[in-house]
Amino acid sequence: MTAAIPVIRQTAALAWRSIVTTIRLPQAWFPALFFPLVLMAIFTASFGGAPGTIPGFPPVRSFLDFAVSGAIIQGVLIGGTSAGAAFATDIEGGFFDRLVASPTSRTSILTGRLGASIALGVGQALLFISVAAIFGARVDGGVLGIFIVVVIATLFAAAVGGLGIFLALRTGSGEAVQGMFPLFFALLFFSSAFFPLDTMVGWYHDVAALNPITYLVESMRLEIIGGATIWTALTGIGIALGLAVITVGASALALRRRLRVAA
Amino acid sequence: MSDQAVETRDLVREYKGGVKAVDGVSLTVESGGIFGFLGPNGAGKSTMVRMLTTLLRPTSGTAIVAGHDVMKEPGIVRRRIGVALQDAAIDPYMTGRELLRLQGVLHGMKRADCRARADVLLGRVDLEDAADRRVGTYSGGMRRRLDLALSLVHEPVVLFLDEPTTGLDPVSRVTLWDEVRRLNVEHGTTVFLTTQYLEEADQLADRVAIIDGGLIVADGTPKALKARIGYPLLSVVAADGSTPDDVARVLSGFGEMVPGARDGGAAVRLPGGSTAMADAVRALDDAGVRFAEIDLAEPTLDDVFLASTGRHLAGSDDATA
Repeated sequence: MTAAIPVIRQTAALAWRSIVTTIRLPQAWFPALFFPLVLMAIFTASFGGAPGTIPGFPPVRSFLDFAVSGAIIQGVLIGGTSAGAAFATDIEGGFFDRLVASPTSRTSILTGRLGASIALGVGQALLFISVAAIFGARVDGGVLGIFIVVVIATLFAAAVGGLGIFLALRTGSGEAVQGMFPLFFALLFFSSAFFPLDTMVGWYHDVAALNPITYLVESMRLEIIGGATIWTALTGIGIALGLAVITVGASALALRRRLRVAA
Repeated sequence: MSDQAVETRDLVREYKGGVKAVDGVSLTVESGGIFGFLGPNGAGKSTMVRMLTTLLRPTSGTAIVAGHDVMKEPGIVRRRIGVALQDAAIDPYMTGRELLRLQGVLHGMKRADCRARADVLLGRVDLEDAADRRVGTYSGGMRRRLDLALSLVHEPVVLFLDEPTTGLDPVSRVTLWDEVRRLNVEHGTTVFLTTQYLEEADQLADRVAIIDGGLIVADGTPKALKARIGYPLLSVVAADGSTPDDVARVLSGFGEMVPGARDGGAAVRLPGGSTAMADAVRALDDAGVRFAEIDLAEPTLDDVFLASTGRHLAGSDDATA
């Protein structure tokens, strides 16, 4: 019979296990929901008057519309870091060894964890859009716009998940992976996740303009605030896909390396 | 199908820096028994198990497990073995039943079979009442039992247990021993068990190998190994103005003196067995040596270990931490 069926079942089972353990551990999901929502609320309250008064701020109905995509990216980043740390804990704790010593396919060890990250990322994106909608935000692109935002969130979740798995496989330490988080957070702040590129000045502007996260956020944001084209959508999808290919590829190599060297 | 559950030839694992954790081990474990792999911490037990369970690549040598080469056919080996590694690798946030079913899916079993098998195993390791509780609430003994059940989901031919009772209280230890024995007798599963406890090897195993410094220093049935040491040990503690030297002077006429006797005493191996004990007592009396305690002990696995390595093993009475 085909070899694909067990891989799919194993992937689904391992993804299910990752999701269940995440949901049952509030420390694993609470920060990924709480911080983006709180920052979104604080920024909206603080800079509600920014659109239309600050030069360089894009035309937008409300600051909340502007803030949603940054919150999604931030949530995915936090969730992906926790997932990477959880994978490292599996290595430390021996769950990984149990998988490796069983006929579990090597592919599904990766795809199971990635599948969970993607599912949780999609959930976050939909939740944040819904919460913002309750407080009056609108998605200009409609259903298609939401779909593109979710596609980018999905690919970015895969990219961050891949990075987390890569770090977990190379360090084998949950603390080490969690310790990378401030770096990711800095990366987020050196982007247009929270403020538009055009209001930034000096080298800060230059760094943010080089940061791929800037273009992911902008691509999602245009779907929400309006002004998106097929090209802005494809730019976001392309960058997220590129990042995902790099990190997932790196994590696959790291898995092969760990299994070859084996302790 | 071969009759050997495990067969290694000149197996070596060298870590970075040239340290050989396993240094040329040739070992044959017959199918159907319980094999005790005994050694102190750091002797190479876990490295050996990791190689036999396809988790670690040997530096050189060969290993056939359940009829297949661990290097050439690791996939087949993995389907035929069960593995419960040290430090039970169990998700605290999942329930016992969930983990058993997950393990079934990972082994490619049908959904209905996974459910049925989980129920059977939960009953067998006496975890039915705790089946739907999160593993984080389990005691150490319950976790080890669940770990054992997890390693049995696919009915393995050879079961590897790496220090299954380390850190357990005596009652939990005996419960687990009973389970392992039952598994071996009723289901014919070959068990390869590592332990640093002499008593465990003595109680469970029908064959024992002792590893020290990456080398096998003794190999055989517990009975044969003890017989190789041969003679019972007579220890005498001096009293009332007699010194250990006085005791030793008399006893040395009866056999080979053994170092490491209790404080204030001396010990000798008695080739004459228990009959020689009476002669020894008379001789002590005739020489006017007074003694407080006298004790004749059959050889233990610790004696085997001492004779093979020059050291005591953890878990024996004489061992000092």
